[in-house]
Amino acid sequence: MVNRRHFLRVTAGGAAGVLVAGGAPAIAQTRELTFLTIASFVPETDKELKRQFEDWGAKNKVKVRLDIIAHLQLVTKKASEVQARSGHDLTALGPGLGDADLYFDHLVDLNDVAADIAPKNGGWLNQNDYLIRGKWKLLPWWMPPFPMAVRTDLLEQIGEKNPDTWEDWLRVGKKGKAIGHPFGTAMGHSGDANVTLLSIMWSYGASYVAKDGKTIAINSPQTRQAMEFVKRLYTEAMDPEVVAWDDASNNRCLNAGKCIAIHNPISAYESAKRDKVLVPGTQKEIADVIDHVNTPRGPVDRRTTTGYWCVGIWNFAKNVDLAKDFLRYHFQPDNQARWVEAGHGFNMPFLTNLTKHPVYKSDKQYRYIPEVAKVSVPPSWPGPTTAASQQVLDLFIIPDMFAQHATGKMTVDQAIAWAEKEIQEIYAGRKRKF
Amino acid sequence: MSRRTSWSRGSRSLFTLYLPVAPFVFFALFPLYFMLVTSLKKNAELYNVNAAPFLIRQGVTLGHYELLSKDTMFWSWFVNSVLVSVAATVISVVIGILAAYPLARLRFPGADSFGVAIFITYLVPPSLLFLPLSTVVNRLGLSDTLWALIVTYPTFLVPFCTWLLMGYFRTVPKEIEECAMLDGCNRFQTLLRILLPVAVPGVICAALFAFTLSWNEFLYSLVFVSPAELKTMTVGVFSELIRGDIYYWGGLMAGACIGSLPIVIAYVFFLDYYVSGLTAGAVK
Repeated sequence: MVNRRHFLRVTAGGAAGVLVAGGAPAIAQTRELTFLTIASFVPETDKELKRQFEDWGAKNKVKVRLDIIAHLQLVTKKASEVQARSGHDLTALGPGLGDADLYFDHLVDLNDVAADIAPKNGGWLNQNDYLIRGKWKLLPWWMPPFPMAVRTDLLEQIGEKNPDTWEDWLRVGKKGKAIGHPFGTAMGHSGDANVTLLSIMWSYGASYVAKDGKTIAINSPQTRQAMEFVKRLYTEAMDPEVVAWDDASNNRCLNAGKCIAIHNPISAYESAKRDKVLVPGTQKEIADVIDHVNTPRGPVDRRTTTGYWCVGIWNFAKNVDLAKDFLRYHFQPDNQARWVEAGHGFNMPFLTNLTKHPVYKSDKQYRYIPEVAKVSVPPSWPGPTTAASQQVLDLFIIPDMFAQHATGKMTVDQAIAWAEKEIQEIYAGRKRKF
Repeated sequence: MSRRTSWSRGSRSLFTLYLPVAPFVFFALFPLYFMLVTSLKKNAELYNVNAAPFLIRQGVTLGHYELLSKDTMFWSWFVNSVLVSVAATVISVVIGILAAYPLARLRFPGADSFGVAIFITYLVPPSLLFLPLSTVVNRLGLSDTLWALIVTYPTFLVPFCTWLLMGYFRTVPKEIEECAMLDGCNRFQTLLRILLPVAVPGVICAALFAFTLSWNEFLYSLVFVSPAELKTMTVGVFSELIRGDIYYWGGLMAGACIGSLPIVIAYVFFLDYYVSGLTAGAVK
């Protein structure tokens, strides 16, 4: 006979037992490897990754599960898995290398895997960039390089050819805006704004932190020059709405037939091709009149950055060795080659041999991608990647500094002083914490 | 004469009822209309900045609905949302009734402050709770199952249901319960046979709110469930149809349109109960 007290005692005892034991009792143990990644910008990439994962699982008699989420959700998911110390074995990390510092104590050292992968693929592109506190806490996985996407028909209409420098693009943008086709680059809180505005800073010889990763270097004549240039770009060549743009806005502007050029990976072109979007008022496909050229050069340098997407293994993973084994398999040259091909070159690995993949010659739109990759550096450049540098990105300090000056809310000195104070506080706070 | 009276009645309701209500109806229905129009437009028209955003000029397409049905697991997500929302609603309303009754009827030390405490619990945002809850879900071994959601949704639904039902139960005269007790009912029988039948509008109102909150929930669903086939609709649509800087607007709006249907249907069926349930406490 089960009475009320007995029922309460049994159920409370059972629940407490489960909580104390730290998990439900294991009835049968099977080898399972789980992988959390983000939905790729080119869906075929996910299909190829899944194929490789399942293929590896079948060969090694391991049950595999690939979970895909939108990249905007990754931050929340990582935080909850670290808090619970449970979740997937392998996880996508990023954008940026900052996760390696932020989750330094929760990630497995991958020195051995990185050393195995490099010789088979001609070495890592810029090996020292990826070492965080001297260790491989993650493997740089892929980046979408940022060329300049331009409407060739409009370029011809305004009598311009082969723009190469930021000043060239300002001129093109001015002429374009005069005929209703402005230049477009985000200046709000978005990843694209961080990328393009950092690119302009570096191209003018400025940076926000010095090589030592401690000295805040944003208050410089070079930053002033870059800011004056962006103010001209904003007022003379762009529409005011760019300060409210998100990452999708410049794609939409180009594919809607409005923008003459945008600084963006090839995703806008790929979606225009897929959706057969037409130039407004014509039967001409817009993908046919888009071209991609190198990321612009400034008076000092040609340099850019992008989202550094990485992969790592949690140290609370149930199957660390299996996870390492899959990484070795996925980073085999053949598998990398198939994966890059599936992504139409959008997902460029940080491996030297892969920058010479035939896919970059398969479509003239992709020809500059390897060139752009060569001049792509982590967003903290020339300083090392740290949790603080990641925070500068996440808080959009650089876009805010440029926007406040460009829109006339602050003078150039006020905007720089504001950004300098913010960055100093971020770096000081992090130094105290670690 | 009678024709004139009827015309004057008609015009009076036009000016005193329909015209004043029209802006509110427009304001409430506009998002639904915009969702529907966007879900039926071709991509080329969606991208065209010169096209009229609120009208379909270049032909209707069902391609976005096809994309949802064929290229994603939308209908599995839909079923998951139904299962989780119904289960969480039933559990929460039952617990809410059992909690609200003593708080509304019985006199015991701290009853009032307990009621306030429940209300304050409802105010703790899920964005604070999801981190500690993820530890609890993991320890219970419920990660990556729909049970994780069925167990965690009541954390925000029960306080709300309890608080709403407390107010409703207090509007029911005590005397009818006392009569039932004189006739031999115990407390539980009184609740079941006397109070609940009278309090149906309040219970339906609480259930509708709980179902809506569960149906729209995003954060716990994202954090506690990862496998594609177990996602709920809110997370599944977001995961599949936002790929970096490419937003599949047509598909997203098609998902939103289909997703809003169960809520619309539920409110249409129970509107009268819902209104009386909400307003009952106002004129005790």
